[in-house]
Amino acid sequence: MDDIIRSAERSIDAPEKASSRLKSRILSELILMEQAEGPLRILSQSRAAGEQLCIFEHAVALLPSDDLQSRNPCAVCHARLLGEHVENAPIYWPGCPYSRYCGH
Amino acid sequence: MTTLTKPHQIDLELAAAILARDRKATARLVELHADAVQRYIWRRLAPRTDPVDDLVQEVFVAAWKALRTYSGDASLQTWLLGIARNKVEDHYRRTLAAPLESIESEDDATWSVDLPDMTTGLEQEQQAEHAARVLTSLPEAYAAALRWRYWDGRTAREMAAASGRTEKAVERLLARAREQFKARWLEMKGGR
Repeated sequence: MDDIIRSAERSIDAPEKASSRLKSRILSELILMEQAEGPLRILSQSRAAGEQLCIFEHAVALLPSDDLQSRNPCAVCHARLLGEHVENAPIYWPGCPYSRYCGH
Repeated sequence: MTTLTKPHQIDLELAAAILARDRKATARLVELHADAVQRYIWRRLAPRTDPVDDLVQEVFVAAWKALRTYSGDASLQTWLLGIARNKVEDHYRRTLAAPLESIESEDDATWSVDLPDMTTGLEQEQQAEHAARVLTSLPEAYAAALRWRYWDGRTAREMAAASGRTEKAVERLLARAREQFKARWLEMKGGR
C-alpha cells in the first residue's frame, strides 16, 4: 500500500499557471522590501543591463536625478492596482511586469 | 585562459541584479518561477488549496531574504522549490500539531476491515489516479501525515520532532490514516 500512496503524487493535477493577481502581489511586496533596504537601482542602469522599461519608466529614466530614478513609479500606477486586484486585468503597457503577468 | 563559470551562471546574474535592488530583475524572478512554485505547493495541498497563495508568497519573501546564500550550484528554480518544500513541511507540521480529538475519537472498528487485494482490476496509471482521489478525500491531518511520510520520506520520529507530538502518537496517526486510506480506496473503487 505504501507504493500506492507514493504513486498518487504524480496524479494530482494542478493549474499550470499561478494567477496574475498573485504574481502582482508578490512583486509589489518584494519591491517594498527592496525599498526598505535602500534605494532601488536607478532605471537607466536597469535599461543598460537589458531590462525592458514601460513608457513611464522610460520617462523617469530620462531624469538627471538618481534620487528620482530610484523611486518606484509603479507605486502610483493604475496598472499595479489593477494587476493586484483583477485577474488578467486589461493592462497593455509594453515593458510593464504587471501587464506581462496578465499575459499581455 | 578559460574562465570558470558556475553551472547556473544566468541564474547567478539574475540573483546579483536582484541583490542590487533592480526591480525589473525582481519582476523577472516572479515571472520565471511563480508558476512552478505554485504548482508544487498546490499539488502538496490539494484539495485544500486555500493556503496556497499565501505559501507561494512566503516562498518568494523567504527567497529574497536568503538570496545572498544562493550559490549557483543548483538552478534558481531548484533552490526556490527547496524553500517551497520547507514551507509545505511547516504547513504539515502545523496541521499535525493542531488538536486531533475529532479524528482520534472515531471508532477504530470501522477501519479494521480486512480488504481484498487493493489493486485488483486497476492498471498502474489508474491506480495512481485512484490513489490521488482517495488521498484528497481524506481528513486533512491524515492526508498531510501520509504525504509527509510517503512523498517527503520523513520518518515518524522526524515528523514527531517537527510537530511536537510523540513518536507513538504519530505512528498511531499514520496507522489510522493508512486504514482510512484503505477503506476509502475500496469504497471509492466501487463507485468509480
